[in-house]
Amino acid sequence: MPISMPAKLSAAAAALIALIVLPQLTSGYVVYLANLMLVYIILAIGLNILIGETGQFGLAHVAFYGIGIYTTAILTSRYGVPFPVAVIAGMLLAGAIGFLLGAVSFRMRDIYLALSTFAFGEAMQWVFKSWDAVTNGPNGMRIPQASLFGFRITNDHDAYYVVLAVAIVTVLVTILLMQSRLGRAFRAVRESEPAALALGVNVRRTKVIAFTLSAVYAGLAGGIFASFSSFIHPDSLGFTTTILVLTMIVVGGLGSIAGAVMGALILGLIQELLRQAPSYQEIIYGVILILFMMYAPKGVIGALKARFSRSGSAAK
Amino acid sequence: MKTMFRAALTGLVLAGAAGFAAQAFPIKAGQGSYSDPGITDDTIKIGLFAPLSGAALAYGEDPLNAARMWYDMINGMGGIWGRKVELVIEDDRCNANDLVAAVKKLVEQDKVFMLNGGSCSAAAVAAQEYVTRAKIPYMMLNASGDGALYPPTDYIFGAASISQRAAGGTTVDFASRHLKGKKIGYINHDDAYGAWNLETAQFTAKESGATLSVESINPNITDVTAPMLKIRAANPDVLILTTYARPATLIVKKAHELGMKMPIVLAVTGTANLKQLVENVGTKDAFKNFYVQDVINDTPTGPKQKWVIDMYKKRYPEMAAKPDHPTPYMPYGIPSAQTVTNALLLAGPNPTREGVARIMRSLTFESGVMAGLISYGETDRAGQESSIFLKFDGDKQDLQPGTYVSRWVYKP
Amino acid sequence: MDWQLIWLFLQQGVASGLVTGSIYALLAVAIVIIFKTTDAPNFAAGELFMAAAYVALYLLVFLALPFIAVVPLSLGVAFIAAALFYRIVLQKIGSSAAVTVNVVIATLGLSFVLKGAVRKTGVGDVPRSFPSIFGNDTITIGQAVLTLQDIGILALAVVSMTIFFLFFNFTRTGRAMRAVGMNPKAAVLVGINLRRTRMLIWGLSGLLSSLAALLIAPKILMTADMGSVVILGFAAAIIGGFTSLPGAVLGGLIIGIAENLVGLFISSRAISVAPFVAIMLVLVLRPQGLLGGKVAVKKV
Repeated sequence: MPISMPAKLSAAAAALIALIVLPQLTSGYVVYLANLMLVYIILAIGLNILIGETGQFGLAHVAFYGIGIYTTAILTSRYGVPFPVAVIAGMLLAGAIGFLLGAVSFRMRDIYLALSTFAFGEAMQWVFKSWDAVTNGPNGMRIPQASLFGFRITNDHDAYYVVLAVAIVTVLVTILLMQSRLGRAFRAVRESEPAALALGVNVRRTKVIAFTLSAVYAGLAGGIFASFSSFIHPDSLGFTTTILVLTMIVVGGLGSIAGAVMGALILGLIQELLRQAPSYQEIIYGVILILFMMYAPKGVIGALKARFSRSGSAAK
Repeated sequence: MKTMFRAALTGLVLAGAAGFAAQAFPIKAGQGSYSDPGITDDTIKIGLFAPLSGAALAYGEDPLNAARMWYDMINGMGGIWGRKVELVIEDDRCNANDLVAAVKKLVEQDKVFMLNGGSCSAAAVAAQEYVTRAKIPYMMLNASGDGALYPPTDYIFGAASISQRAAGGTTVDFASRHLKGKKIGYINHDDAYGAWNLETAQFTAKESGATLSVESINPNITDVTAPMLKIRAANPDVLILTTYARPATLIVKKAHELGMKMPIVLAVTGTANLKQLVENVGTKDAFKNFYVQDVINDTPTGPKQKWVIDMYKKRYPEMAAKPDHPTPYMPYGIPSAQTVTNALLLAGPNPTREGVARIMRSLTFESGVMAGLISYGETDRAGQESSIFLKFDGDKQDLQPGTYVSRWVYKP
Repeated sequence: MDWQLIWLFLQQGVASGLVTGSIYALLAVAIVIIFKTTDAPNFAAGELFMAAAYVALYLLVFLALPFIAVVPLSLGVAFIAAALFYRIVLQKIGSSAAVTVNVVIATLGLSFVLKGAVRKTGVGDVPRSFPSIFGNDTITIGQAVLTLQDIGILALAVVSMTIFFLFFNFTRTGRAMRAVGMNPKAAVLVGINLRRTRMLIWGLSGLLSSLAALLIAPKILMTADMGSVVILGFAAAIIGGFTSLPGAVLGGLIIGIAENLVGLFISSRAISVAPFVAIMLVLVLRPQGLLGGKVAVKKV
C-alpha cells in the first residue's frame, strides 16, 4: 500500500469534520446540493456493487431508485407509516424486485444483460407514469415532510445530518461487505466465471445477490431522497439518470468504493457548475467525458493510485 | 411605441382598480431597513430563470428574453418606486432537481426578493412546496403550471401564456360552437400536459353536448398509424390536436394520407412554426380545413403584436437575426414580467413579500399582448385563460371571430 | 370491434409497421456492425444519425444543392467524421473488451457534443425536414394506404441492408472485418491491420447512419433530440440477437409492427412501452435473441 494507514485515517477525519460543519458555513442551496450528492453517492455505491465489483451490466438502477421514492412517499402520505419504516419497506420492495430481475436475467451476459435490464428500467418508468391510481401518474407526486422519531424534517438543513449519517453508514457497511467472503465472491465472478466455479463460488447465487443488494441500495437512496425532496416526477426517473450514475462510477474508477464516492462528487459538481454556462454545457460536458476516458481510463482513483505509486517508488 | 405605453398604462390603471385593496393596508415610509431580503433603497432583486440549455431551450430562452426586456424598459423609465430591478438569471434545465437547485440558489444565496421563471410545468411544480414554505411570491414565466396552480396556494402564480386547462377547454368550445362539432376526435399527450387539458376538454364537451374520442400518445412517437386509424374509425366531425409540433406534423400528414377530411384544430402547444409545419407535411392540400389556436391578441405578425416584436429586435439584434427568432413563444414573457412589476408598483414604496403576494392574488390587468385579461382571483392562480383561433390555409392566417374564454373553474 | 375493421386495422398496421420497422432495422444494422467488431455498443449512434441529418439539411436546404450532390457529400462527411472519432478518441482508449464501458462513456460524451453543437446552430429546435426523394403521393395496397416515400424507404432499406450483408460475407475487406470481430488476435496473426479495419468500420457505421438519416428524416422529422429513436434500433438489434445482421432486420420489422398492433388493439398509450416488453419477453425466452448465436463464454 503506497498510502499509509494513519494518513488515510487523518484524511478521513478531516473530511468528516468538514462535512459536519458544512451546513453552518453555507447557504441552504449548498446544503440541498450536498444532500443530492449524498443520494448520488448511495446510488453510485450500489451500482458499483453490481457493475464494478461483480461485472454485471445491470442498467435498471433508476427503476429501483424510483421504487424507493414512491414506496416511501406513498406509505408515509397515505398510510401514515413512520418515515424510517417506509424507507425500509422501499428498500425491501426494491430488493425483492431486484431479486426477481436477477433471477430472470442471471443467464444473460454483457450486452444482452445490459439491454434487457435497460428495457426493464424503461418499462418501470412507463409504469410510474401510467399507473395513475398509485403513483399519481404524469402529474407527479407530492412527498410529505418526513419525521424521524418525532423530529420533523422541514428543510435541507434538518435533513442533512440524516442523509449524511445514512451515507456514511452505507459507505462503511459496503467497505466491510467487500472485504467479506461475499465481496470476494463478487470479484471472482467478475474476473472469470469458470474460475469462480472452480473456487467453489455459486456463480448463479452470487449474481442474484449482487442484483438484489444493488437494488436495495437504490431503494435506500430513493427513501433518503424523499426525506428532503417534496416532489417526484416520473420524467426524472429515466435512463439518463442511470447513465449519469454509471458515468459517475466509471469516472471515479470502477470497482472502487472511493471511486464511486469521488465520481458522484466530481460529476455532481461539474453538472451544477455547468448550469452557469448554459449554451455550451452539453458540448463541455461531452468533451469532459471523452477526455476522462482518454486520459484517466481507470478513473480518478486509478489515476491517483498510479501517481502515488510512482512518487512512492521514486522516494524509495 | 405608442401602443406599448398604452399597454403599460392600461395595465397599471386596471391593476390599480382591481388591487385597490392594497391601499387598505398601511404603507410604512421608513427607509433603509426592510423586513425581506433582496431590497434596498434603490434596487430590488428578482430571480429570473428558464431552461437555457438542452431540449427545452426553445421554450424558455425567448420568453426569458422578453421578460428581461420588459424589466429593462421599466428600469429605463426610472424603475419601480425609484428602485431599479436587478435580475439574477439561472438555467433550470426544465428538470425538477435542477429547477429546485436554481430556486434555492436564487433565494438562499443570491437573496432575491421574489421569483419569476420556469417554462416547464412538471419542473415548476417541484418547487411548489419550498416556495410556499419559504413564503416567496413566485410568478412562472411561460409554464402553464396547472399542477402548482390547482389547488391554489398563497404564493404561486402562473399561466401567463395559458393554463393547459383553459387550452383544452377553449379548443373544444371552438370546435363545438364555431365548427359545429358533435363528435370530436381528441389527440393529446400521455403526460401531465395531456391529463390537464383533457380534464377540461371533457368538461366542456359535456357542457356543449359533444362527445370526445380520445387517443393519448407519447410525444416521442415515430408512427402515428395506430391512433389515426382508431380516430378514423370513430369518424369524428372535428379533430383536435393538443400535441407538440413534431407529433402534430406526423398526424396532419397521416390524416392527409388516410384521406381524412374533417377540420383539424391545432392547439397552441403545436403551433411553434407554421411555415415549417407546411414544409414538413410536404403539401398545402393537407391544410384545406385547418385551424390553429393562439393565445396572443392578434396574428403573430398583426399590428397589435408589433410593439413586442419591435422591442425585441431593438433589444436583441443578434438574436433577432437567428433563424425563426423571435420564437412564437417570446411574447409570453411579457405578461409574466408585467405581473411582477405591476404587483410591485401596487405594493407601494415599502413592499414586503407578503404584501406583494396578497396583491397578486387579486391582480387584473390588460397586457397589450395576450388574448384575454391577465387576471388572478381568490381561487384562481392562472393568469391567462382565453384563446383566439386562426384559419390557416398553408399561407395566410385568418383571424376567426370571437375570443374564447375558459368556462372551467376550480372547485375546492 | 367488427371483423371488417379488424382486418382493415391489421392490413394498415402491418404495412405501416413494416416501413417504420425498416427504419429501426437500418439503425440496428449500424449498431450491430460496430458491436460485432469492437464489442462495444455505440451510444452515439443516435446522435451520429441526427448530426448526419442536419448535414444533409444544410446541404439541401441552406446551400440548395441538388440531391445528386448531397447524397455522396453527406455520406462522405459522416464516414470521415465517424472514422476520425475512432482514430482520435477510441484508439487512445483501446478497444479490447476490458474497456468496453470506457468506450460506452466516450461515445456518450460524443453524443452530448453532437447534440450541443446542433443546438448551437439554432436550427435544431423547430422540427424540420427536407423534401423526400420520392414525393408524397399515396398508393393503396389492399386496404392499406402507403406513400411513395414509404415504399421508397422500405425498398432502399432492404437494398442497402442486402449490400451490407453481401459486403460482410463476400468481400475481402468485409471478411477481414468479421474476422476482427470474431478474434482480433488471430486476425492480426493473419495480417489484418486491426486499427485500419476498425476505423473503416466506424466510418461505415457513420455512412449507414447518414443513409438512414437521408431516408428517414423526411418521415419522422428532425430535431436535435431525434437521436432518441435509436433506442428502438437497440431494441431491434437485441431482439434479433445483437450480432446477427439479418436478426437486426427481423427485430426492426417486429418492433415496427408490434408498435402498431399494440396501439390498435390495446391502447395508444401502450405503444411506447411495447418495444421494451418485447425485449424482455424475447430475452427471457431466448437469451441470445432470435437469430443470435450461442452465448460464448469470454476467454480471459
